[in-house]
Amino acid sequence: MSEKRYKLHPVAAIINFVKGLKELIFPFIILVVANGLNFSLNPLEEGFWSNIFPLAILSLISIVYLFSGIVKWWTFVYWFEEDELRVEYGLFIKKKRYIPFDRIQSFNYKEGIFHRIFGLVQVMVETAGNTNGKPEVVLTAITREAANDIEDITRKVKQQETEHLEINENTVLEEPTIQNGKVIHKMNTKDLIILATTSNSIGVVLAGIVALLSQLGDLIPYEKLFEEVSALIKFSFVIVALSVIGALLLTWLVSVLITFLNYYDFTVVEENDRLIITRGLLEKKRVTIPLNRIQAIKIVENPLRQWFGYAAVTVESASGGFGDKDQKITLFPLISKKELFQPLQNLFPHFEWEQTLTKPPKIAKPFFYRIDFLWLIPLVAICSYFWYPYGLLSFLIVIPAILIGLWQYRTTGFAMNGQQLTIVYRMLSRVTFVVEKKRIQALESKQSYFQKRRNIATFEATVMSGMLGATARARNLKIEDVEEVMEWFEK
Amino acid sequence: MRNQLMFQIPKKGLTVWRLYGLFNTLFIAVLAGVVSFLTYKFEWLSIIYYIAVAVVIIVAITSIWLFPKIRWDHWRYEVRENEIEIQSGLFVVKRTLIPMVRVQHVDTTQGPILKKYDLANISISTAATTHIIPMLITKEADDLRARISILARVAEDDV
Repeated sequence: MSEKRYKLHPVAAIINFVKGLKELIFPFIILVVANGLNFSLNPLEEGFWSNIFPLAILSLISIVYLFSGIVKWWTFVYWFEEDELRVEYGLFIKKKRYIPFDRIQSFNYKEGIFHRIFGLVQVMVETAGNTNGKPEVVLTAITREAANDIEDITRKVKQQETEHLEINENTVLEEPTIQNGKVIHKMNTKDLIILATTSNSIGVVLAGIVALLSQLGDLIPYEKLFEEVSALIKFSFVIVALSVIGALLLTWLVSVLITFLNYYDFTVVEENDRLIITRGLLEKKRVTIPLNRIQAIKIVENPLRQWFGYAAVTVESASGGFGDKDQKITLFPLISKKELFQPLQNLFPHFEWEQTLTKPPKIAKPFFYRIDFLWLIPLVAICSYFWYPYGLLSFLIVIPAILIGLWQYRTTGFAMNGQQLTIVYRMLSRVTFVVEKKRIQALESKQSYFQKRRNIATFEATVMSGMLGATARARNLKIEDVEEVMEWFEK
Repeated sequence: MRNQLMFQIPKKGLTVWRLYGLFNTLFIAVLAGVVSFLTYKFEWLSIIYYIAVAVVIIVAITSIWLFPKIRWDHWRYEVRENEIEIQSGLFVVKRTLIPMVRVQHVDTTQGPILKKYDLANISISTAATTHIIPMLITKEADDLRARISILARVAEDDV
């Protein structure tokens, strides 16, 4: 029985090629910068060959990428046979991968700019087994209809199987209800702007812009400028203030732009016990997570957002993500804390969201900042020694360290009830980690010599998430409380 | 207070840890020797000799005598019907609980030194974590591995 074999869309070859090129961008920039932008195309000039050599290698590599992109597209076929999705590619080394339909957890979609132009999608097939963060199969570019076909066939086969089982067990057949998706959450423009303004990445963007300006500094003829500026020296304060404001404004605009590109039209839909998350303006992404694959839920409030009463919600999923390194899937990038609990309650009815926390005892207070002294003291000592006397100012760093420690002390807490464990902790952002007992892979209590003297201990719970798992830690609690958690976990 | 766990690591394990410590010290001693030689050759400060000797002595005391002893004192384990509990640690004593239902597979490993002393390590893997019980008598390790794998199969997911 030979089944019809499908090929990818030819654009896949270009996409593979561009993906390869992206990796070359950094070496290329380094080369150009190292050469100081003074390329000459005159072969008679001195140093021409040594300058052109690395460039030649880079072009050679990109040609290789182009060929491998074409070859991969040329040889790539997928087809359906014996209830399996089968994929085959490779010129000299043939790679084959067969995935039974009932092993497939979800299909995730991504549409880059090239995809959008030709009406294509990239399909990532997720199975239960992959924990290394990579999807089992990636179909680089196929038409939307082809993608729908794959999903239809998979669903049909899965249904047949469940029906088969049900008949065997002699139970009443229930028509599998294909309900239309219920929209759980949708972000509007105002949310997006707040998200951009309060996100941690704004610091990164700021650093980038400062770096850029300082690089441009080399190009701007400062000395010449200064002569002119010196005439305006009395306005210098105004100029500095204006340029600072300008830089901040630029930062903010870039940040808003990035957020818009990534999170535009962010929608969460619940459908047949699965969550479907779509987002993106230029590059559209769609992730599907089966609800029963969700291991734990995290409510994250960075200090700024906590101040304004906003939070972000992410879920730790056993498989999934966009096939990138992040196994964390953002459920609500930004939601006000008041509106937070209603949708969560609907999605996860077995959880309780507001409960009284068991806090660390007063005696544990110093433990939250004392641990920082381990690295602070050498740091301060080195600074003081080498940059005496100004290095002594580094002592001041102790103050924020203690304040953050005290803040962490005030935040930390945990609660158990029935099958649910809630851990609240803070590095800088306040994190509420909610997990069911059956999802916890291992529970660990820790006690140092000093903690033992004060009868306090730390405990941490690990759930499955990607390769390493995700861990939540409640620090410096009463030893009796920690033992209670251990006993709760044993039952 | 929770009960102290029942099983300790065999006394032979301590010997092996001390042996590892000895190798560690030898390695550091060679490094110190090289540094001393360079100091002699290029006539660096003579204080470097004293530092090198001090480092070797400290490493010898801690990694051959002190740390193995503390570690051995702290290591305990218990394999019960529904869970495995392991206590470990040097400065920070950790107690880990792994439910049988969560155990995915159990391995024993044995290097040349362990083989000579008739010892083996057991590592227990869950979907997210790996836990090790080191330095068990080979026979005991094999039995324990078999027992855990049976218990893990029996333990049913009750939720």
